[in-house]
Amino acid sequence: MTASSTPLIKRLLLAAASLSVLLAAVLVLALSSGSGGEGILRSLSVVLGQGEPDSALETIVWRIRLPRALLAALAGGALSLGGLVFQALLRNPLAEPYILGISGGSAIGAIIGILLGLSHFPGVSVCAFIGSLATLVLIVAMSSGQSVLKKDALLLSGVMVNAFCASVIMFLVSMTQDARLHNIIFWLMGDLSSADGRTVAILAAILAPCFGIVFLFSHAMNLLLMGNEMARSMGLHLRSVTVALLVVTSLMVSAIVSYSGLIGFVGLVIPHLLRFVWGPDHRVLVPACILGGGAYLTACDILARSLPDQGEMPAGVITALIGAPLFIFLLKKTRR
Amino acid sequence: MRNLLSTIVKIGAIAAGLALLAGSPSNAKIVIDQAGRRVEIPDRPQRVVSLAPSITEIVFALGQEQLLKGVTSYSDFPPEASGLPRVGSYVRLDLERIIELRPDLCIAIKDGNPKATVDRLQALGVPVYALDPRSVPAVIQAVLEMGTVLNAEDRAERLVRDMRSRIQRVTARLVGTGHRPRVFFQIGDAPIVSVGTKTFAHELIGLAGGDNVAAGKTAYPRFNREQVLALSPDVIVISSMDRAGSIEQARQEWGRWPSVPAVRDGRIHLVDSDIFDRPSPRLVEGLEQLAGFIHPEIFGGLK
Amino acid sequence: MKTAIETNHLSHAFGGRPVLDRVSLTIAAGDFFVIIGPNGSGKTTLMKLMCGILNTGPGRIAIFGKDIRSYSHRSLARTIAYVPQALEVSFPFTVQEAVLLGRTPHQNVLGIPRAADLDAARRAMATTGVEHLADRKLDQLSGGERQRASIARALCQGPDILLLDEPTASLDLSHQLRLMDLMETLKQEKTVTVVMVSHDVNLAAMYADRLLLLSNGKIAELGSPANVLTPRNLEAAYGCRLMVDESPFGGVPRVTLVPGKFQL
Repeated sequence: MTASSTPLIKRLLLAAASLSVLLAAVLVLALSSGSGGEGILRSLSVVLGQGEPDSALETIVWRIRLPRALLAALAGGALSLGGLVFQALLRNPLAEPYILGISGGSAIGAIIGILLGLSHFPGVSVCAFIGSLATLVLIVAMSSGQSVLKKDALLLSGVMVNAFCASVIMFLVSMTQDARLHNIIFWLMGDLSSADGRTVAILAAILAPCFGIVFLFSHAMNLLLMGNEMARSMGLHLRSVTVALLVVTSLMVSAIVSYSGLIGFVGLVIPHLLRFVWGPDHRVLVPACILGGGAYLTACDILARSLPDQGEMPAGVITALIGAPLFIFLLKKTRR
Repeated sequence: MRNLLSTIVKIGAIAAGLALLAGSPSNAKIVIDQAGRRVEIPDRPQRVVSLAPSITEIVFALGQEQLLKGVTSYSDFPPEASGLPRVGSYVRLDLERIIELRPDLCIAIKDGNPKATVDRLQALGVPVYALDPRSVPAVIQAVLEMGTVLNAEDRAERLVRDMRSRIQRVTARLVGTGHRPRVFFQIGDAPIVSVGTKTFAHELIGLAGGDNVAAGKTAYPRFNREQVLALSPDVIVISSMDRAGSIEQARQEWGRWPSVPAVRDGRIHLVDSDIFDRPSPRLVEGLEQLAGFIHPEIFGGLK
Repeated sequence: MKTAIETNHLSHAFGGRPVLDRVSLTIAAGDFFVIIGPNGSGKTTLMKLMCGILNTGPGRIAIFGKDIRSYSHRSLARTIAYVPQALEVSFPFTVQEAVLLGRTPHQNVLGIPRAADLDAARRAMATTGVEHLADRKLDQLSGGERQRASIARALCQGPDILLLDEPTASLDLSHQLRLMDLMETLKQEKTVTVVMVSHDVNLAAMYADRLLLLSNGKIAELGSPANVLTPRNLEAAYGCRLMVDESPFGGVPRVTLVPGKFQL
């Protein structure tokens, strides 16, 4: 790829423009497909503002499909960005957004919320959010005997806490005997069906500043890739940058997980895919992950809704089915 | 001055009255559903979507199936229901399909259908009437309420009278019988699952003059084979939700344990699970079947 | 003559284990200063303290007369540049991108390169002879090329002091020479103060203006190569038999190890 020889600004604009177009196209497709409505063409005409004012189809497109598509786009962007940041912070290509205990903690919180009979929003979401922050605090406390900057300490603590949480989750699941079990399993595999206008607006309000802050740190992430000592010697405020990125990213990922459950393989694969195409400069990758990740998850959700004859699959199943082989393919391409 | 004041008051009263009238269109009414929610439903619903198989059964039993435009995926009784458009499953409703049918009323089950989806339907402007049929008397009440909602009060009263008399017929003949045979109601094979106190099956076993050995706080308690052997049931009733050959298999499995009174006396019975776990009029049929299994000396004729 | 670096009773410990013990020295501006000593003598620690990577505990460091702690991160980065022994390359940038990173202390938060930055990078790459590799990925380079790219990056910081940690360790002979000559050129033409940690005592002797022999975290000897490289000093520090004579280039000591079979 000669991406590296193209000047930075040009690459950034090219990436942003092409991925924006892709995202827009996928969103239009998302609004046009679903279990209701008589096919894509009729739905498409509603989206474009033409066609008869068919009130049922209008309701379906704008009040059911649009919030869901927006949630998928926001979740995909946030998860991809989360994966990108953790891969830079931990300098580990296998890092993904849940690596610091966020998946374990939020799942336990959500399951407790579901078992208590709380409604998905705000009850279960708040429980999931609290759970993920609790495990994050636990992990930072566990690894703060050594410096929080020692990336391996964080990584190890995160893996251990996630493993422990997994066994707690299996215990809770095995003890559950009623219909709530169904909800738990759907949550664990990722579930975008809870989206409505108000919750999506709240989520967007939380995520937009997070995206902005991470973008401001994108050059700092470039420096981090050279190693802690190098970054410091080039003038980076290592401690404050690391803590800021950690906090903002964890908040971002926790917010998404509390809405949509655990959707995997987005935060792991999309940064690698985009890095493969656009190079490792985070000033390009941050906007690329936000747009490209959003397009990817929205596309996966379209498949999740359209593939089965009846009902839908959890979004996390599609992202895993596509993401795993994609990841293996990328690994082969980037190792010589 | 007083004239002016009284004129203002009169105008105010008329305005308020008009506002009230404008607020609630004359073809809708506000009711309290069985779950205690205030809902505004149409006086004469024309397009009804049932959100549970039991509700579908009740609508047909009330003779109002022409109002039904959509049902959930396991709505298979009566057979005519299988031809109606599907709107997803009881626990995972398909919002798009429901909206597409343009319902003016949906009927749901509290703590059965997911509350989030019911709330969304209301937010999208579709009235949802929730039933809460958690016991046999509550099912009877649900039938009556649905009669009112669907403008079939007469049919509802007749149906309820019929249900009550059939129940009476069973309970009356049980008066004076001293003993209650021990009953194990099995709804799963691997693992073995039975029914606790908060289930219809438990209630029906009690009404049919039996003693549910699995009674307790847990709604669907798990047992291993040893524990069932220790409970020494006189009657085993096996019901399966997946209707596959596993029911026969379970019965054959029990044949290996002749120490159990139920096995020794050949009192193992297979049943269709739908009539025991759906809150519908067919519960009465379940009661009659159970009575025949538990007290064949009294109800030998009933099959 | 200006003093580039001055340390005063500088000590450091890692988890209770003392690594440096009251090191006091001065490095004059424009010097070629080489630090030698056995493994674990504290050479790398001293270097990391001098460029601000490690936080100073007891003792003081002054850079051009100012306490190191009074420098902002950015102004320190513009004054001292650090070249580590090996470059971490988990996500490889191209040489040009990596070199441009050195301009960070001169840029705004997003680090968008301006004409001045691209210019400085080109000149730095020319100086170290890697401009023909500008578009190659770091992990596709040889050890020597990567080292020179690293130095180019350091030069982009526009520093007055260059710190290099065992730069010749993994280089073959011709590249070792090239690198040392490059340092000499930088010192002469750009008046950069070069501070280097080296394993190669003889190479150090041929280029250094002053040598520091560290042993067990303390200064064993500090001065001209002739003063420092004596059999007594070296044997005490390294704990092995050595012979010191004069190099063919005159005025510079040459150290030869004495293999066991030649010992009496």
